[in-house]
Amino acid sequence: MEGNLSVVGYGLSAIGPAIAVGLIFAAYINGVARQPEARNLLQPIAILGFALAEALAIFGLVLAFVFN
Amino acid sequence: MTLTAPASWVGTAPTASGGGEGYQTPTPEIFWQPLFELGPITVTNQMAWAAIITAALSFAMIALSKNAAVVPGKGQWLFENFYNLPRNTIARDMIGTRHFRQYLPLIVTLFTMVLFFNLAGSFFGSMMPVTSKIGFPIALTLVVYVVYHWIGVKKHGLGGYFKHMVPGGLPKAVVPVIFPLELITYFITRPLTLALRLFGNMFAGHMLIYLFVTGAFYFLIEGDILLKLVSLPTFLMAGVMLVFELLVQFLQAFVFALLTASYIAGALADDH
Amino acid sequence: MHFTATPASVVSLVPAAEGSMPLIPHWEELVFGLIMFAILWWVVAKKVVPNIEKAYEERHAAIEGGIAQAENAQAEAEAAKAQYEAQLAEARSEAAQIREDARAEGAAIVAQMRQQAQDEANRITESAHKQIDAERQQAAVTLRGEVGRMSTDLAGRIVGHELSESSTRQSIIDRFLSELETGKVQPEKVTASAPGSSTVDGQES
Repeated sequence: MEGNLSVVGYGLSAIGPAIAVGLIFAAYINGVARQPEARNLLQPIAILGFALAEALAIFGLVLAFVFN
Repeated sequence: MTLTAPASWVGTAPTASGGGEGYQTPTPEIFWQPLFELGPITVTNQMAWAAIITAALSFAMIALSKNAAVVPGKGQWLFENFYNLPRNTIARDMIGTRHFRQYLPLIVTLFTMVLFFNLAGSFFGSMMPVTSKIGFPIALTLVVYVVYHWIGVKKHGLGGYFKHMVPGGLPKAVVPVIFPLELITYFITRPLTLALRLFGNMFAGHMLIYLFVTGAFYFLIEGDILLKLVSLPTFLMAGVMLVFELLVQFLQAFVFALLTASYIAGALADDH
Repeated sequence: MHFTATPASVVSLVPAAEGSMPLIPHWEELVFGLIMFAILWWVVAKKVVPNIEKAYEERHAAIEGGIAQAENAQAEAEAAKAQYEAQLAEARSEAAQIREDARAEGAAIVAQMRQQAQDEANRITESAHKQIDAERQQAAVTLRGEVGRMSTDLAGRIVGHELSESSTRQSIIDRFLSELETGKVQPEKVTASAPGSSTVDGQES
């Protein structure tokens, strides 16, 4: 089996952000379910959090290319 | 398992495939699509699409907003619905009702541009997101980077801007620790993540679709009966990924504009 | 095996295989992206946003103006209604006043009329009474004279001699009449005490 170890590294680096994104949207759904009128307030915050967490996965992708 | 890296970033073919020389997984080279050369300048496919999309957007937006009336027509109504997203949800909610009008052109331009550059990955016959070439995200991020630092310096003064980076109300002892972190955040992490997030999403998404489509074709053409059957769910998966990419393309445009607005709001804020 | 990335190692890849290194920007694209952004920004900032924002402002103003106008109209209507109601109340009170006056006047007239009628009736009654009295008086006087003469005639004729002495005759007649008036003389008594008179009556009849 041939391959590149950096891909494995990327896979590992994606675990954390994946969980984080899941948690963020779970909290967002919880919040909206409890207070539907807070939806507009929570949405940008949730997406902001999602973007920040996702950045880590993107770092992994980038590093997978850099340490090629 | 050998760790010998191939010359280019290439995965390996599914070893189960019985057919011939095997399947070459897509490499980043699929994004390199030069059209022609103008002296030292190599014009790529993405650049051509960027020009086409920008021209189309300019004409469409001018046409739709030229006769903006109090009572909107059908076209203006549609355009207003689109325009209200960056205007209200992004700019007004993030920057605040007092200052957002000033930065409206920037936010609207960024949102529209990123959105349609992304959507080029699913439409317009290009099937290649313009933003999957890192040059475009970097260009847009440069603009954002310059703008939010300029706003911060203009608002607080050069020294005040650096002071402004440290959250107020911290114990004196913590400040020397926090300050470098904030400095890194402001000057390195933010632009880096802003550009790389957009690029990475578009790049990886397009690559994934490419992988599914070429893989399905490979199964269909080269594989035996079993693999030909597998090609059907693979095609389906490519379709699902295409729809998912639509969502991601929109979301990334939204996130890009939202983060820009949030950085501007942060630079404008009186107290951190 | 490139497990370490140095700037040199990253950059050195570029000329080797353009495109295989997706993180190295193709500088033409970078500059082109900036130009495209500048074009679109100019379009949005100069044409699109001012137009749309102007329309929004106008719409805002129109809606606010509309609201103000509606409020004005409502206030006007309220004022008119209040005025109308005031007038109505005034008219109503005036009408009530007039009605009250009329009623009072009517009552006064009726009372006056009644008084007049009463007076008239009283006057008529009184005059009637007076007339009746006078007539009775007259009748009594006449009757007295008549009865006296007739009875003296009768008595003279019965007694057969002239009761010429007027003084005695007169006194007799007066006494008789006064007795008759006071009711002392009953028909039975007359018959018993003076059979002559009853006989006279009988002869007469």
